Amino acid sequence: MRIPLSLRQIFAFMKRDFFSWTTYRTAAITQVLGILIGVFSWGISAAYVQRPVQEMYGSDYISFLLVGVAVSNLIMPLVLGVQNQLNPWTLETILMTGVSTPIFVLGNIMWTYVFSALSFIPYLVIGTSFFHAEIRPNLLAVALALMISAALMMGLAMVSTGLRILTKSTDPITWTINVLQSLFAGVAFPVIYLNTILFPGASTISWFLPQTWVYHLCRLSMLTNPSLTDPLVIMEFVKGTIFAAALLPIGHRVFWWGVNRSKREGTLGWY
Amino acid sequence: MEYAIETVNLVKRYPTTSRKDIVGGPRGHGSRGTVGSFSTIFEAIKGSRGPFIEALKGINLKIKEGEIFGILGPNGAGKTTLIKILCTLVIHDEGEVYVNGFDPRKESGEVLKNLQAVLPESRGFNWRLSGRQNLEFYALLYGLGDDEAKERIDYLLDFTGLTDRADDGYQRYSTGMQRKLLLCRALLRNTPIIVFDEPTSGLDPTSAEEFRKMVIERLVRKEGKTILLSTHNLQEAQELCDRLAILERGNVIALDTPDNLRHLVIEDRFLHISFVDAVFGAEEKKLIKDLEAIENVHSVSAEVNNGENFEAITMRVEKDIDLAGILMALAKSGLKINAVNCEEPSLEDAFNAIIGRNGKHLPNHGEEGD
Repeated sequence: MRIPLSLRQIFAFMKRDFFSWTTYRTAAITQVLGILIGVFSWGISAAYVQRPVQEMYGSDYISFLLVGVAVSNLIMPLVLGVQNQLNPWTLETILMTGVSTPIFVLGNIMWTYVFSALSFIPYLVIGTSFFHAEIRPNLLAVALALMISAALMMGLAMVSTGLRILTKSTDPITWTINVLQSLFAGVAFPVIYLNTILFPGASTISWFLPQTWVYHLCRLSMLTNPSLTDPLVIMEFVKGTIFAAALLPIGHRVFWWGVNRSKREGTLGWY
Repeated sequence: MEYAIETVNLVKRYPTTSRKDIVGGPRGHGSRGTVGSFSTIFEAIKGSRGPFIEALKGINLKIKEGEIFGILGPNGAGKTTLIKILCTLVIHDEGEVYVNGFDPRKESGEVLKNLQAVLPESRGFNWRLSGRQNLEFYALLYGLGDDEAKERIDYLLDFTGLTDRADDGYQRYSTGMQRKLLLCRALLRNTPIIVFDEPTSGLDPTSAEEFRKMVIERLVRKEGKTILLSTHNLQEAQELCDRLAILERGNVIALDTPDNLRHLVIEDRFLHISFVDAVFGAEEKKLIKDLEAIENVHSVSAEVNNGENFEAITMRVEKDIDLAGILMALAKSGLKINAVNCEEPSLEDAFNAIIGRNGKHLPNHGEEGD
C-alpha cells in the first residue's frame, strides 16, 4: 500500500528534526537528563506529601507548597529575563551607552522581578481563601528576603549572561544549576528531607545553590512570622547575605570575562 | 589634543576557528533556547587558538578635529573592525588607538563620552515605544538629567525633522525615519566625534541627499564635529569627505583628499563621443585602430548595440593631449557626431584602479594628518 504523500511529508519533517537533534550531543544529553531529574524530583515530592509532619518551618503542606510555587515563579523568569534581552542589536547599543554592569543586568530583570513579586498577591489570596493556607509573614523580613533574593538572582543572572554572551546559547553551567534546583532547592519539599530519601548529607548540596536560599528566606519570612531580633533568624539572613555577597562579584567578573572575550574574538554582535 | 582619532600600527586578528563553528553560528540550531556545549566554555577559558586571520595589519591614521574622514574599501577590507575598535565593541591586539586622547582598551567610558556611532545593524529600539520614548530611555542610560534630556531630544527631533512623528510607535517608522532616529540617539550625548557606518544604504536618493546635507551643514559646519564615515557609496564619499583612506585586506593602500586621490591614481581624462545613425562596419573598425594609433591616446572602447549600432566611443587620453588629431580622424570618418564630452576621472575610477593594483601600495599623502 502506498503511503499518502502528505504523511511522507510530515515524516520528512520529523526525520530532519530528529537527525538535527542527535547532532547536538550536549543539547540532547541535557534534555534527557532534564527529563530524568524532573521525574525524580516529582517522585520525591509525591513521596513527601504522604508524610504527616513538616520540617523546618512548622507549617502545613499547602502553605509550604504555595510559597514554594510562588517563589519558583519569581526565580525562573529572572534568569530568562536577561537572556531574552540579549541580541546583537540591543547588546552592542546598550554597551555603547557606557551603562554599568549592575545597572544593565538589574535593569533587564527588574520588571520581571517586580511583576513576579506582585504576582505573589493572587497566589496568597487564592491560597489562603480557597485552600486555607496559613501565611504568617513578618513584612520587614519579607522585604529583606526579597532584597537578598534579588541580589542572589542578580549574581546568577550575571554569570548566566556572561556565559551566554560567549556561548551564544543557554550555557551548560546555568542549565545545570537550574536543573539541580528542581531537585535540591526544595520547591515542593523541605531540603532536609533529601537526607532521608536520597542519602545522608544530601541536603548539603542544596545550600550551595542560590535558589535554595531564595526559597528558604522567603518561606522563613512568610510562614513563621519570624522575629528579626531572634539570633537564629538573624543568622539565616546573614548566611543568605554572605552567599549573595560572594555571588555578586563572581557574577560581575564572569559577565565582563564573557564580554571581553567576545570583544577580542569579534563575536559580540553575533547571536 | 592634536587629533580626534589616532591609530598607530593598529593590528587586529580573529581566530578562524571560532565559537561560530562550535555553536552552529549566530542563527543556528545551537542558539536561543538550547544548551550549548561545555567545550565552548573550556575553549573560552583556554583562550583563542589559531590559526588567525589579520583583519587589520598595522593601520596608521590621524584624523583632525572637525574633519570629515572617509573609509572606503571592498567587503572584508577591515572597515567595520576599525569602527568597532573605536566604538569599544572590539578589542585590538597590537598597536595604539586614541579617541580624543583616550584609549578604547583601557578607558572605554571616556571614549564613549567622546565618540558615538550610527551603526545601521545596531537598532536597539523597542518597536512598541514611540520614537520619543525610545530616545528618553537612551537619554537616561547616557546619564542626561530630565531637563537636559527633554531639551536635547526636542532639539534633535527638530534637527532631523521627526518632531511631527515623534509620538508615533517606532514600528510605524519608514526606513528613512528609523535611520534619523538612530542619528538622534547617536547625537543625544553631544559627543565631538560621530562615526557613520553606511549611513545612506537603503535610503532613497532624496533622503540620502537630505542626510548628507544634515551632516555637512549642521554637524560639521555649525557644531564643528569630527565625522568618520565608512561607505560603499563613492559619490557620497567624494561629495562629503575632506580626506579618504582606502582599505584593502587590512591595509591602508591610499590616503588623501578625494581630488588628489583621483588625480594621483589616474592622471588621464576620458573623452566620450556619441554618434547618430552609425553602423559598426569595417570603416568604423579602422577608425578605432586609427584613434588608438594617435599619440597620448591610451585606450579606445566602442559601444555597439545589437552587434551593429555604433553608438559611441570612450577614449582614455593623456590630460594635456592635443585634440586636433582625434578630431581630424573623426571628421575624416564621415560619422555624424552627436556630442563630445570630456570627463574627469571619478572617485569610482580611482577606487577601481587602486583596488585593481591588488595591494600595491600608493604613497599616502598626508597620512600623518599634516
